[in-house]
Amino acid sequence: MGITLDDSGSQAMIGLNGVVDISSAAEFKMLLLRALNSGKEVRVSLSGATALDVTAVQLLWSAEREATRAGTGLSFTGPAPAEVYVSLCEVDLQQFLVTDS
Amino acid sequence: MSIENKADQFKQAFREEGREVLVDLESALLELNDNRGDQELVGQVFRALHTLKGSGAMFGFEDLATFTHNLETAFDEVRNGQLQISSELIDLTLAALDQIRAMLEEGISGAAPADAAVCAEILARVRHLTGKPEKHPAKGKSAPPTANLDDEAETGSEAAAGQVREWSIHFAPGADFMMNGANPLLLLRELQQMGGLAVKASMAAVPPFAELDPERCYVAWEMVLATAAERDAIRDVFIFVEDSCELIIEPVTNTIESSDPSAPDSAQQVLSAANAADITARALEESRLSSGGRRSYDSPDHASSLRVPAAKLDQFVDLVGELVTVQARLSEVAMRNDDPEVAAVSEEIERLTSSLRENSMNIRMMPIRGTFEKFRRLVHDLARDLGKNVELTIEGADTELDKTVIDQLGDPLMHLIRNSMDHGIEPPAVRAERGKRPTATIHLSARHSGASVLIAVSDDGGGINAEAVRNRAIERSLVDAGTQLTENEIFALIFQPGFSTAQQVTDVSGRGVGMDVVRQRVDNLRGSIDVASKSGAGTTVTLRLPLTLAIIDGLLVSIADASFVLPLANILECIELTSTDIERANGKHMADVRGEIVPYIRLREHFNIRSPRPEIEQIMIASTEGGRYGFVVDRVLGNCQTVIKNLGRFYRHVKVVSGATILGDGTVALILDPERVAQDAVHANAHGARAGPSTTTIAAAVKQSLRERSAAPH
Repeated sequence: MGITLDDSGSQAMIGLNGVVDISSAAEFKMLLLRALNSGKEVRVSLSGATALDVTAVQLLWSAEREATRAGTGLSFTGPAPAEVYVSLCEVDLQQFLVTDS
Repeated sequence: MSIENKADQFKQAFREEGREVLVDLESALLELNDNRGDQELVGQVFRALHTLKGSGAMFGFEDLATFTHNLETAFDEVRNGQLQISSELIDLTLAALDQIRAMLEEGISGAAPADAAVCAEILARVRHLTGKPEKHPAKGKSAPPTANLDDEAETGSEAAAGQVREWSIHFAPGADFMMNGANPLLLLRELQQMGGLAVKASMAAVPPFAELDPERCYVAWEMVLATAAERDAIRDVFIFVEDSCELIIEPVTNTIESSDPSAPDSAQQVLSAANAADITARALEESRLSSGGRRSYDSPDHASSLRVPAAKLDQFVDLVGELVTVQARLSEVAMRNDDPEVAAVSEEIERLTSSLRENSMNIRMMPIRGTFEKFRRLVHDLARDLGKNVELTIEGADTELDKTVIDQLGDPLMHLIRNSMDHGIEPPAVRAERGKRPTATIHLSARHSGASVLIAVSDDGGGINAEAVRNRAIERSLVDAGTQLTENEIFALIFQPGFSTAQQVTDVSGRGVGMDVVRQRVDNLRGSIDVASKSGAGTTVTLRLPLTLAIIDGLLVSIADASFVLPLANILECIELTSTDIERANGKHMADVRGEIVPYIRLREHFNIRSPRPEIEQIMIASTEGGRYGFVVDRVLGNCQTVIKNLGRFYRHVKVVSGATILGDGTVALILDPERVAQDAVHANAHGARAGPSTTTIAAAVKQSLRERSAAPH
């Protein structure tokens, strides 16, 4: 549960599980930073998440910009679960979790 | 600080604000009871309930939110004309407020928990009135938006009631917003319930990844809300987070008279067109301008405020008091050493201390409104229980006085009002017999008078029967049967411990406890009580209380080698008194002040100070409730910031002295109460006797006790 990082392969895989909100924001930033510093492409899986709050979305958005700048890139393995997507729509944050790839 | 602690802190903030909302709500309800057609009051009640519900859910008071939701529904129906305001609804809602208050205080030691059975009964009766089944508000983070459909249907009718307008809302959480436990999602959901809402989030303020504080919300939202609700109602959604966010609510200029209030299409168009570009540009501009935090508010007159625990404030004022005392010593030393450099610094410090003192006293000043408004409920409930018709009128609710005084005023006022309702005001039948208005009045008033505040409780009841009071006092051996008493002395007896004239002891009053408590409390506050009563016409009890219990501006005077302080607020002017003047007045204690005769009191004689008087004395002319009086002293030493020290229990009976203060050279000066000195002198004159113990003897004893106190190890 929580946030996982697996950077043993060619990509740095981040998995979000359950509620990812301000209570885990500091840990999430640390893991994202490690993933970015690994120099590998970052892939984020949202499939296990049940809720994301604004701090989580900000981190992902800012990390994605950072990864783009560094040339490694950050993308999602798939769309967010429906209930997460719906509540992000309420605050118009869904748009920031869609990457071009 | 951990997030849990922060959340607790925010819960506490919600509690504090919630208490205020409840007080306002109670007043509004009681006012509504008298003016049942007032739509504005209905709206006020509805909004307050809505705020409690929404914010309660946000800060984890789920029970409170659910419970309040059902009341809100009832008032929504009132608003839409589906339900009439009835005494039953008002009483139910008042009872419900007590439960909400209990839920709010839950978890705080000593607070009685909400009674689930009572809550259930209230809800059942409310549902009976509205004829609607119980509903639960949408709550929790995981609730999908569809859960709000029910509410939206409600707000649809709400919107139809007035003209639908579009509001542009700029909402940017501040640095500590998320840490405080607030959640933008819940706030936006609340807005959504008010009508059609179009939302645009902006990431413009999000910094580069390395600089990003993970626990801060950088996202800002631009919204357009189509609703019939007013600006205040929209702002109420943000009421608990207003201090930690930037909020701009402006009407969109083209008002639409839409028959379909939830028309996000139209709102979306407005937003996505020029407006969005505009708003975003402004947001960007602002984020550039305020790189640190977001601290601008939606109108220039919106002053931000800060909640501070009263204990911290007391500590602060204590420190200022200490500083004033030390500053007095410094001035003394500077004067003695005659060093111009030290004197300059000392003067500067004196000026600063003086404004610091004034400021800190000001911080503690509060309007008495809250205390007064609380009694509307008491009068309403008591009138019902006693079967009397009573109306409470309030005057001077904006009069400010020290928080400490206000805090201790609730009980005595409650006892006075209860006493008036129970013993003073006659039953309706008796009033009709006497040709009085069927609805009796209790009037609460407050006003400033010099360094005091006068708080009066008046009723138009039967008045005090002086003979009955006298007989009762004799019966209870409080006075001897042969003693001659003036009317005022008889009235004072009702404040004696164990006194009661009520034929019947009711559960409201009549045990003779209350009035004794009133006197005790007022004594503790260094105040006094005055009773005026006219048989058949009513009674007025006036409490005279000092404005503050901490530091006052005083005028330092001396008689022989004793120093006294007179409150500057009472002093009008100072004139000389020579032996020629005395001769001219034929030995009468009267001064000619520019053609007006003012009686004066020779404090030297009054206080029994045995020492020769100087050739020229000074008369301090002071204003008192009884008119202008002069107080004759030897010398005027000058202004003095006076830190009031209590004299302690032993000297409590010495009414002419309201406290003591320590002067710069370490000596003690007694603070005189001009009002009491004048009364005392008039009384002594009438009885041909001098006042009790010599005040200089007291001064010596006080000096001794203060010295001992300061010498004792801390």
